[in-house]
Amino acid sequence: MKRRSAIIVIGIVIAVIVIGIVVYFAVKPAKMTTINIGYQPSTHQIAAMLASEKGWWEKDLAKFGIEKVKMKEFPSGPPEMHAMLAGDLDVAYVGVSPPIAAMYEGLDAKIVAGVQTQGSAIVIRPELADEYKGPLSLKGKSIATFPPGSIQHTVLSKWLLDNGIDLKKDVDIKAMGPSDAATAIGAKTVDVVFLPSPTPTIIVEEGNGVIVEWSRSMWPDHACCCLTASGKMIREHPEMLKQIIKTHIRSTEYEIKHPEEAAEIYAKWQNADVSTIKRSVKITDMHWIHDPHVEVESGLEYAKVIYELSRQRYEGKGIKVLKKEDIFDTSFYDEATGKR
Amino acid sequence: MKLLAKEKVLWLIPLIIVLLLWEFMAGFVIKNPLMLPRFSAVIFSIYTLREVLISDILVSLLHFGIGLVLAFSVALPLAIAMGWFKSVFKAIDPIIEILRPIPPLAWIPIAIIWFHLTHYAAGFIIFIGAFFPILIDSYTGFRDVPKVLVETGKVLGCTGDKKLIKYVAIPHALPSIATGTRVGMGVGWMCVVAAEMFGVSESGLGYRLFQKFYYLHQMDYVVAYMFILGLAALCLDRLFRHFVENKLLRWKKGIVK
Repeated sequence: MKRRSAIIVIGIVIAVIVIGIVVYFAVKPAKMTTINIGYQPSTHQIAAMLASEKGWWEKDLAKFGIEKVKMKEFPSGPPEMHAMLAGDLDVAYVGVSPPIAAMYEGLDAKIVAGVQTQGSAIVIRPELADEYKGPLSLKGKSIATFPPGSIQHTVLSKWLLDNGIDLKKDVDIKAMGPSDAATAIGAKTVDVVFLPSPTPTIIVEEGNGVIVEWSRSMWPDHACCCLTASGKMIREHPEMLKQIIKTHIRSTEYEIKHPEEAAEIYAKWQNADVSTIKRSVKITDMHWIHDPHVEVESGLEYAKVIYELSRQRYEGKGIKVLKKEDIFDTSFYDEATGKR
Repeated sequence: MKLLAKEKVLWLIPLIIVLLLWEFMAGFVIKNPLMLPRFSAVIFSIYTLREVLISDILVSLLHFGIGLVLAFSVALPLAIAMGWFKSVFKAIDPIIEILRPIPPLAWIPIAIIWFHLTHYAAGFIIFIGAFFPILIDSYTGFRDVPKVLVETGKVLGCTGDKKLIKYVAIPHALPSIATGTRVGMGVGWMCVVAAEMFGVSESGLGYRLFQKFYYLHQMDYVVAYMFILGLAALCLDRLFRHFVENKLLRWKKGIVK
């Protein structure tokens, strides 16, 4: 009996010690020595890869005690934002829509800098290219693009609606990722795709399509990718965030001045064909930017579109359409550039 | 009588404990519906989504049905040939072992090219998942027919492979075929989400989970659909066991217990 009691007491003591240690490390904020940066394999986000390739992230952030910069690649925005939700990303290069969709569901983050505008294209099967005279030519066609709520789906839907095309009756929009869409047009299972660079150029180079429209003509200067920072980063490391934006600005200006080198870096990181990427960067209507103010107008438009997709759900939860201050925090950019 | 009633509700107690733990952990420990929505929120989500749920289940069942029927139809004759004839096994086994480890997800580009964006493309992905368990278990059943049964069959007039397969091997292999089909059904159902990820339809449990809810980070809806996927699999399994194990293989009852 005594032995049993002793075992129980020892067990309780060990449990209390273990819980104590866990609580201690959970409560005591550890010094940040590693930063996690998310990005996607798109020419839109070369700035992230370029700054890493040049060693600028490590160099610029060393003064804040950062010893390691982890670049984490994601196939698309939703898993990237999920990683941020889980606390695995401090900043993320991502399309403007995925963070907004996640913010409606409680993501603690803000868009702090711009990355690029425009840069998506409508690619049509070669045998149908001659018929193309404008949006009305797409009546009766199947179009592959990203799922509802994405920038591409929003831009395409708005453009078709503005041109009097009924999205349910006149066209068949199929939601899928870029690789599946490229395979689908190659297999002639869809007539048209609307995708971001460099996939349109890759499809053209493979002889599976012809670019007939760039997104500039569909929605001039629409926002595409942005730099999003987690709420923790904004609150706990404001100076470091300012430096991250400065490094991003440096990288963006470098890629604008040296697009060929930027394309080479992308090709190296993604093991892609250099000439295809150089051609993609050359012919795209994409603008690399860093000013978040440029993306506010279309960002708010995306926020409305995303809200409409799940209006019933959001109204039921008392969530209202996100406003500028809910989505953007331009103060770090303004301070970094001396605008404030 | 009391003991029987007790046994009948034995499954209920762990289930209730797990659900209560889920509700407690989500509501009082994690407190973040994005990390883990409460069980009650998930049930409410199922109610909210009732309008699309039935059509989604039916479309997913259609994809599952295509894949499973195809898998069974191809795997069974092949299993008989591989299990009964050593030369067929030696010739085909390397091909099977090369194809078997390829994950169903990797077949998506092939599915798009071969079957286009149709229900058959989704069915093909499920076929890939279900085919190999059915094949492997079934051919093992045919391969392991005891020699004494074969000899007895011959003595009783089963001359030739056709008769031996029909009257000796198939009855002996039936439990293995049933096990393989049951495992194949489980793996095939697991492939439903992957099968509906690439624009094959505008309904389906996997389609809505992945292309709608996940894209908009609606985690309570995501978990609700995961729950439905699990429940549907449970129903399919129970149905299978009722018809196959309790009816077709009733003779097996009492052999071990």
